Amino acid sequence: MAILLQLLLSGAALGMIYAVIAFGYQSTFATSGTLNFGQGEALMLGALVGLTLAGNVAGGPYLNYWLMLPPVLLFGALQGVVVERIGVRPAIQSKSEFGWIMSTIALGIIFRNVAENVWGHDDLPFPSPLPTEPLHLFGASVLPMELLVAAGAVVMMVAVELFNRRSIYGKAVVATSTDRDAAGLMGINTSLVITFSYALSSMTAAFAGVLIAPVTLTGASMGTALGLKAFAVAIIGGLNSGLGVVVGGVLLGVTEKLTGYYVSTGYQDVPGLILLLLVLSVKPSGLFGKTIIKKV
Amino acid sequence: MNKLFTLRCLVLATTLLAAGAQAADPIKIGIAGPLTGGSSPMGISMRDGAKLATAEINKAGGILGRQLQLVERDDEAKNERGVQIAQELINKEHVVATLGYANTGVALASTRFYEEAKIPVIDNIATGSAVTKQFLPPEYPDNYVFRNSAYDGIQAQMIVEEAVGRRKFSKVAILSDSTNYGQLGREDLEKALAAKGVKAVAVEKFNIKDVDMTAQLLKAKEAGAQVILTYAIGPELAQVANGMKKLGWKVPMIGSWTLSMANFIDNAGSESEGARMPETFIQEPNTPKRKTFIEAYLKAYNPPAGRIPSPVSAAQGYDSVYLIAMAIKQAGSTEGPKVRAALESLNEKIDGVVTVYDHPFTHDNHEAITANIPVIGEVKGGHVVYAYEEERKNPLRLEKH
Repeated sequence: MAILLQLLLSGAALGMIYAVIAFGYQSTFATSGTLNFGQGEALMLGALVGLTLAGNVAGGPYLNYWLMLPPVLLFGALQGVVVERIGVRPAIQSKSEFGWIMSTIALGIIFRNVAENVWGHDDLPFPSPLPTEPLHLFGASVLPMELLVAAGAVVMMVAVELFNRRSIYGKAVVATSTDRDAAGLMGINTSLVITFSYALSSMTAAFAGVLIAPVTLTGASMGTALGLKAFAVAIIGGLNSGLGVVVGGVLLGVTEKLTGYYVSTGYQDVPGLILLLLVLSVKPSGLFGKTIIKKV
Repeated sequence: MNKLFTLRCLVLATTLLAAGAQAADPIKIGIAGPLTGGSSPMGISMRDGAKLATAEINKAGGILGRQLQLVERDDEAKNERGVQIAQELINKEHVVATLGYANTGVALASTRFYEEAKIPVIDNIATGSAVTKQFLPPEYPDNYVFRNSAYDGIQAQMIVEEAVGRRKFSKVAILSDSTNYGQLGREDLEKALAAKGVKAVAVEKFNIKDVDMTAQLLKAKEAGAQVILTYAIGPELAQVANGMKKLGWKVPMIGSWTLSMANFIDNAGSESEGARMPETFIQEPNTPKRKTFIEAYLKAYNPPAGRIPSPVSAAQGYDSVYLIAMAIKQAGSTEGPKVRAALESLNEKIDGVVTVYDHPFTHDNHEAITANIPVIGEVKGGHVVYAYEEERKNPLRLEKH
C-alpha cells in the first residue's frame, strides 16, 4: 500500500512538472494556431537565468529565490517576443502552413547553443528555496519542492484563467482565439495579441524552469527531453484545456512510475506513448479538448 | 648589387624557407571526445591532459625533429558524430594516430575507420570491454585499436570484489542506464557476480535525462538490497543518490568510475558521500610524476576548487600522448603499420601518471591497464580520495600481463 502510494505521489509530482511545461504550448496555440517547439529551451533559459541570479555560478547569489522570480518572468516574456517576431510572424504573414515549425525548432537549437557557450555544458545543481528533507505521508515521501511545483502549476493556471475572464486584455485574447478575423474586424490588434501570447507562453516556461530546476538538474540540455514529454502531455490533455494538461500530465507521470515498478523500468516510457497514440486515434483533440469544426 | 646576386639571394631564401617549412611540418594527432553534454568533464579533462603532454614533448624538441599538433574534435557523445569525425580526421586532416573516446558506443562505431585506414587509435577513456576486441585475427591480421583505461571487465570485478568480497554484502541491486555503456557494464557486473555465486536481487535501468528514479529505487528497496551497484554517468547517478534521500532509504553506492565525476558529486551534494568506485588515478600527489602532473594541470587550467573535473581522464589523456609519441619515435616513421608495430613492442619504459608502462601492449594484448592497477576511490567532502590507506601508500602499481 505504501509502495502504491509512493508511486502515485512520485508519478503525480513528475506529472505536474510535465503539466507546467505543457501549459506553455497552449497559450500560443489558442491565439495563433501555432506552437513554439522551442518551449523546452525557453524553460532551460529561464532556469539558467534564475540560477545566475539566485545561484553561485556567476559570483552570486544576487537575489534570493523569490526575488529572482520577477526578472526571470520578464526575461521569459522578452524571449517569447523575440521568438514570435523572428520565427512566427513571418510565417503567419506569408500564410505558410509549416514555416513556424522549422523556425521555432531552429530558434530552440540556437538558444541551446548560446546557453552552452554562456553557462557551459554541464548539469548544475539549483539551490532549493525549501528544505530538502522529504515529508512523510502515510509511509510515502515527497519533497517540499515537489509540492511547490504542483502548487505553482495550479496558481499559474488560475492566474491565466482569471486574466482571460476578468480583464479586457484577456477578453481580447479569448476573442482572438475564438475567431481571429472577426476579432480583427472588431478593432482588436490581433497580431499584438499573438505577440502577447508568445510572451505569456515563454514567461510560463521560464517560470516552470525555475520551479522544477531544484528537483531536476539545470543545464543547457535540460529542456529537450522534458519539452518533448510535455508536448505529448499537451496532446493527450488537449491543446485548449488548462485542466487537460494537469490531468494529462498526472496520467503520464503515474503511468510511467506504475509501469516502471510493476512491469519493468526498461519499458517505463512505452505506455505513455501508447496512451498518446490511443488518444490521437480515438479523440484527436485530446481528452479535454474541444473539437474545432473547420468549414471549408 | 647586381641582378645575379639578387637572384641568388632569392633562390637561397626560397630553399631555406622550404627546408624550414619541412622541418616545421607537424605530426598531427587527432583528439576525439565529448566536449559538450553530460560526458564533457571526461572529454575536456582528457583533452587538457593531452595538451599538457604535447606541450612538454614539443618543448623538449618534439618527435623525429617535428612538433606534435593536436587536432581536437567534439563528438558530442553521439555515435554518428564520432563516425563523421573519424572520417574527417583520417581523410582530411591526415592524422598519424587518434586518441580519445569517452563513450563506448562512439568508440565502437568510430574505430572501424581507423582499422580500415591502418591508423592506430588509443582509446584513453571509454571502458566497454568490446572496444579493443572488434578486429581480431584471423579475420583481421592486425588490430589497430589500443586502450589505456581500465576496461569494464576489470572494473566490474573490482566493484563486485568491493561489495561482496570486502564488505560482505549478499543482497545487491544493479542500476544502470540504457546506453551501450550502461548495458554492457551491467552484463559485466552480472558475470562478475555470478563468479562469486551471487545473483542480483534487482536489475533496473533508466534513460539519460530521467529526472525521477522512484520506481527503480523502490524495486531495489523492496527486494531487500543492501548495496546499489551502478553503471551510468554523472547526472543520472546524482538523481539516484537524491532519489534515495527522498525515499528515506540509504544504502552504499558502489559503481563504475563515473561516480568520481564532478557532475555526480556536485549534483548529489552530501548524498554523494561514501560512494566508491575503481580509479586508475586519484588526484593525490603520491608519486613525483603525479605531483608535477597535478601542479601543471592546476596551473594551466585553474579548475574550480582546485579539482580536476575528471582526474582519471586527465591522467589517461596525458599518458596516451606519451605512449603514441614513444611509438612514433621508436618506429622512426609516421606510417600507421610501423607505429602500430612499435606500440606492440615498446622498448623504453614510460614513466606515466597512472603507472610505469613497461611493454604495455603486445600483438595480442591491447589493454595497457591490468587488474592490479586501479584502486578503490571514495567520495569524501566533495573530493575523491583513497578508500584504503594501504593503497594510498602503495602508489606504484605495475602492469602484470
